[in-house]
This record gives sequence, C-alpha cells and structure tokens, in this order.
Amino acid sequence: MVNYFLRRILLMIPTFLGSTILVFTILQMAPGGPIEQMMLELQMGGNVVGEGGGGSSSNAIGGVSLPPKALKELERFYGFDKPIYQRYLSWLGVWPREIKHRDFSIPKGISSVEKRVGKVDGAIWKVDVSISNDNDLIVYEKSGEKSENWFSKIENSNEDGSLDAVVFQQEYSGILTGNLGKSYTYLKPVTEVMKPRFKISLFFGLTGIFLSYLICIPLGIKKALNHGSAFDFGSSVLIFMAYSIPGWALGGVLLVLFGGGSFFDVFPLGGFRSPSEIWDTLSPIQKVFDQIHHMILPIIAWSIGSFATLTVLMKNSLLENLSQDYVRTAFAKGLKENRVIWYHAMRNSLIPIASGIGHLLGVVIAGSYFIERMFNIDGFGRMAYEAILSRDYPVTLGFLVIVVLIRLLGNIISDFVLAIVDPRIRFK
Amino acid sequence: MKNTSIFSRRWQKFKTLKRGYYSLIILLSLYILSFFLPLLINNKALIVKYEGNYYFPIVTGFVSGQVFGQDVPGEARYRELKSSFKEDLNSSNWVLLPPYPYSPFEDITYDGNKMYESPSSLHWLGTDNTGRDVFARLCYAFNISISFALILTIINYIVGILIGGAMGYYGGKFDLFFQRLIEVWSSLPMLFVIIIISSILKPSFFLLIGIYTLVNWISMTYLIRAEFYREKAKPYVAAALSMGQSNFKIMFKHILANSLVPIITYFPFSVVAGISALVGLDYLGFGLAPPTPSWGQMLDVGLSNISKWWMVFSPVSAQFFTLLAIVFIGEGVREAFDPKVYSRLR
Repeated sequence: MVNYFLRRILLMIPTFLGSTILVFTILQMAPGGPIEQMMLELQMGGNVVGEGGGGSSSNAIGGVSLPPKALKELERFYGFDKPIYQRYLSWLGVWPREIKHRDFSIPKGISSVEKRVGKVDGAIWKVDVSISNDNDLIVYEKSGEKSENWFSKIENSNEDGSLDAVVFQQEYSGILTGNLGKSYTYLKPVTEVMKPRFKISLFFGLTGIFLSYLICIPLGIKKALNHGSAFDFGSSVLIFMAYSIPGWALGGVLLVLFGGGSFFDVFPLGGFRSPSEIWDTLSPIQKVFDQIHHMILPIIAWSIGSFATLTVLMKNSLLENLSQDYVRTAFAKGLKENRVIWYHAMRNSLIPIASGIGHLLGVVIAGSYFIERMFNIDGFGRMAYEAILSRDYPVTLGFLVIVVLIRLLGNIISDFVLAIVDPRIRFK
Repeated sequence: MKNTSIFSRRWQKFKTLKRGYYSLIILLSLYILSFFLPLLINNKALIVKYEGNYYFPIVTGFVSGQVFGQDVPGEARYRELKSSFKEDLNSSNWVLLPPYPYSPFEDITYDGNKMYESPSSLHWLGTDNTGRDVFARLCYAFNISISFALILTIINYIVGILIGGAMGYYGGKFDLFFQRLIEVWSSLPMLFVIIIISSILKPSFFLLIGIYTLVNWISMTYLIRAEFYREKAKPYVAAALSMGQSNFKIMFKHILANSLVPIITYFPFSVVAGISALVGLDYLGFGLAPPTPSWGQMLDVGLSNISKWWMVFSPVSAQFFTLLAIVFIGEGVREAFDPKVYSRLR
C-alpha cells in the first residue's frame, strides 16, 4: 500500500504540470494583458474603468502612446520578450530569469566595453564586456576572470554598425523555489497577498465543514432509523429545498431578510469581522461575539450546499448497512438494538462520510467565490476573482497552484482515509 | 395485450410518484408556454384596428406612433393607445394587448420614471433599477435558463457518450490518454477556468454553452466510460462480436441501450447543475451579455439595491421553484428506474 500511495504522489507531478501549463498558456495568450492594460490606462489619461478586456487597440485616437523603449522595458519587466515555454519554465524556476537589466551600446569596431553595473560592498562595480569570435558577448570581471554574476547579449544591431546590448543577472526563482512572483495590482509578493486571505477562507471552510458534519450526521442517522416516519418526510422536504437553492442565492435572501434593508436589522451586511478601528477596541469576549455575529449568515449560506448531500449520504449509507445480512445475524444472535446500530452498522456506514473529507478540502479553498463576493469578505476566492478581472497573472497562477495542489492532495488523503477506515479496501 | 416493455413499466411507476409526475407536467407545460411569451408578455400590441385598417405589430415589428395619430417619436405606445381609444367611445378603433403588456427590455417607461417600483397590480413583481418589469424579465429568463441547461446537457451527453464510450469500449492507449487528460482537467477549479475563458471571450449564448461543455464533459464521460467498461465484458457483447457486428453497432445499439439507466437518471440533475451554473455566471457578470434577461443578473442588481426586496426574492424564488421541480422529477425518475428497496429495521 505504501507503494500505491508513493505512486499516487509521484503521479501528482505530471498532473500538476499539465494543469498549470494549460492555464498558463490560456492566460498568456489572452488579449488584454498587463501591458495592454497599462497602455489603455495611458490613453485614457489614467482613468481606466475596471472593464477587463479592451482588446489590442494600440493606436487609439488622441491618447498618449507608449514610446518603444518604454514598451520594451515593460515587456522585459513582465517577461513577455521571451517565448512562452521559457516564461513557463522560469515561472516554475527551472529556467533562469533575467533580472537587473542594464542597457548600453557598443560602437562599431570596438570589441570590448567597460560597463558600470552597480555597487558591490560600497564600491562601484564595473565589468568588461567583450565580443567573442562567434559574435557572443562575454562578461569579464575587473580581475580578468569570466563573471559569474553578469551575462550579456546583443539586443539589436544598428545600421551604423553599432550594437545595442544589455547586461543582466540570471536567477533561478519560481514556484519550485517558493517564489510565486509579485502581484501586479497589490505590488507585493504573491505569497504575502495570499496568506491573510487564505487564512480567512480556511477559517470559514473549516467552521463550515465542522458545523455541517455536526448537523448532518446525527440528522442522517435519525432519518435512517425512522425511515418513512413523519420526521423523515419533513426533513426530506427541507433537504429537497436546500438542494434546490444554491448557497449563495440563499445568502442573498438572508441578507435581504436580516441585513437591515427591508425587514430585520439583525446581522451586519458583510465583512469578515468589524473594521479594524472598531475591532481593536473590543475586549476578547466582544471579539468572539463580533466574529460570530459576522459569520452566522455566510456560514449558513456556505453549509447549505453540503447539507443536503451529506445528510442523504449518511442516511442511505446507514440504511444500506442496516439491510445487510450481518446486521440480521447480529440481531439473530440476540444483540441489543443499540449495540447493533451504533457498534456494528454505524462503523461501516461512516466510511463514505469519512473518505469525503479529503475532497471537501479542495472545495473549502476554491468553492467560495460567490459567498465571499456576496458578503464582502476579503477571502481567497474573491482574491482570485479580482485577480482574473484585473489580469493579475501572478496572483491568478498562485491561486491555481495552491488549489490544484490541495485538490490533488485531498484526493490522495481521501483514498488514504478510506484505506484506513475500511480494512476491506486494498490499494495496489 | 398489455404492453409490458421495461420502459413502459418504468413510466407507469413514475406516474405513481405524484410529486415527480406533477412536477414534470407543470414544468413541461410552463416551458412550452414560455415559447409563446412574446404573445403573452410584451409591450407590442397583438392587433390594432385603426381607422378601418388592421395592424399586427407583434408580427410586423416596429410601427411608428404617427401611424396611429400619436404625437411621439419612434414606436407607437400601445398602452396609451388603448386608454385613448377607450375614452373615445364612438370610434371603432381598438387594440388587443398581450395579457401582461410590458416587455422585458422596456427601459424607463414613458408612463413616467418607473425605477424601483414595488410590486403592484400593474407590475406584479415591481420594477428594477432601469424601470424594467421584473415579472416580464423573470418569465423570459425562465425560458432562456431551461433552454440553456437542456442544450448544455444534451451536448454534454453527446460528447460524454462518444468519448466515454470509446474509452470504455476500446480501452488501451486511447483510454489512458483521455484518463490523464481528465485527471488534469478535473484538478482545475472549473468555475475558475470558466471565468478566465469568458473574461477573455465575452461569450454569447452558444459560446457559453461551448465553454461550459469544455469544462463539464468530464463527469458524463467518466460515467459512460465506467458503464461501457462494465458492459463490454458481458457475454452479449462477445456474442455480437462473434456474429460479426461492427464496433459501431455494438457500442451504440447494444451497449448504449443497456447502460441507459444511469444516463437517464442523471439527466435531471445535470439540468439542475446547468441552471445553477448559468445563474452563477450571470451573477458574477461572466454569463450572457446584458440586456438578456437572466436570473443571475437580476440577482446581482437586486443585491446592490438590497432594500428593494422584490428584486432579490423574485429571481431567487423563480430559480428555487424551477430547480425544486426538476429535483422532484429527478427523484421520481431515479425511483422509477432504480427501485432500490430498503428494508426497514427488522
């Protein structure tokens, strides 16, 4: 079995690569990338409306257009001057990323140029760039050795015979080295953008899962034991209703009912908790109440989705086990009803419920765009949604990496839990 | 002789499950009725008799107001026309309006500024932020939502049966390749992918179906694959093969016919998923382009005007009752096709 799970974990790698390649390509091929957005912004005089897209209207009337040099620098900054496979590989961190570009030109007929590249230990750092026989540029330190830090290449040969060239450093940094890049909109490293939001969503998700399990399992059991009774029928109606309304739509109704617009003013309209000005003045107990007060509506909306499926799953699973032969045998040999149900049948019927936990993990992370948007909670899903709207590729891809990893791991965890709780299952 | 084919027996069983059966009748008749909505809910008159001539604006489309002696720019205002004809008792002019004379696209109406009107006998479910009648939009959105979900599900089924069937039947490299592909696809958060693609493409009705199929074919394909995989090993397939039947015939005449049960029982739930998806996408603003009437877009507008409760409750209840009816149908179908009898405790 160890072999099986090792293989599963190894199989995660191609799947992960496949899915990231797919989204990476779609994102990079899409029109309306960060550069086009910036050009649009310039043309509109800085008043760009948040209407993503816009297409490539590079020569719009009347606006300021970007000078070619600035455009080149922007392309270099975002990495768009490289072919897409190189961009992907350097995003992964296995292809060198070029950083700290310094432009210079080499006049005609000169084979070696001195170039100031920055400072090291307080002194000015200069390197010599010379042209080799096969027209490559080689960078030498002042000591005469080939430079380990700096590289150079020819960008363009001019008509007068001079060459435009650039020196740069190379760096291997990407998701494999834990660097998810820097957000275009927040201007912060993606990990820093994601961390607080991830925590909020996780907090929500775990509370939601916990509460729905707490309600659904006993309810499902009771429905199974009283199959066909008035209680079973009544709760079934409730379950049908819960299944027919998406959680976020219910959230909207709850907001109208209890958010103070037209009916009752019981709960706040949104937000994860009170704004920090208020939050900081609260005593610890008030903080707990404030948090609960803000979370009740979104948690109801969040849990209603799993409420129906989980309860029915529990009920059917227990019912099926109760009709098995081993239960009849247990009764026949004179065991007490309680023992048969709670000790024999229950253990087997919890198996499908237990193994669902891993799948739920993935749902926790990605499944809350709607609720976070509706309740104005600054969570992980909303971050991704806004990142797509503003074409913030590093955040979009960072979100994707986390979600795909958690989903893949969740599937493995599910199978693992299944293998632990159900000794009949042997993975090979 | 009583017809006792398995399907007619299942149909008889389904008819005994009242909840599902009546839901099916009601929903089906409402859906058929919704194709005649332009005759029922519209601001264009059906027939106008004016100065001895008959006009049919509903068929011919635009008729200028001046034709009927109205001093207005653009199209004739049939509701005003009707009341003016009524006042004038001795003329033989008359107008036949649709029973509910408001159009889903009719922005701020000429009867004055009608934004945010609460429900009344005139506007059954009030008006929205641009003065459009909520009830009219609701009804048109009903037709669009169901049509969307039906077409989506059928296309999904076709793709799923073709690919999943071939995967299960042929197995081998073809199966392996698609399995890997499905693994990659299904590791992605679907909604996320749809949003990315539709934020780039600005979809129309059919493009949206295409995008949705692109990410949604997996579950169906997997279901069919498992079904074909299991059926393939059965003796009747071997018998058909040894009789020299073509692969195509075996797949679609024999195996498919034997794996219809899960396919059919899955159908209503697939439609539910389709409607929910459309509403969700419309709510996020990545669905059908405005001003197409849609529940999601209505909900979005409603939620930014949260004190106007009718703008939130109407689309949510419309969606709720539609989905509830389909879930009832689905439950009935499942029970009729898969009569799993649970024994009670002892």
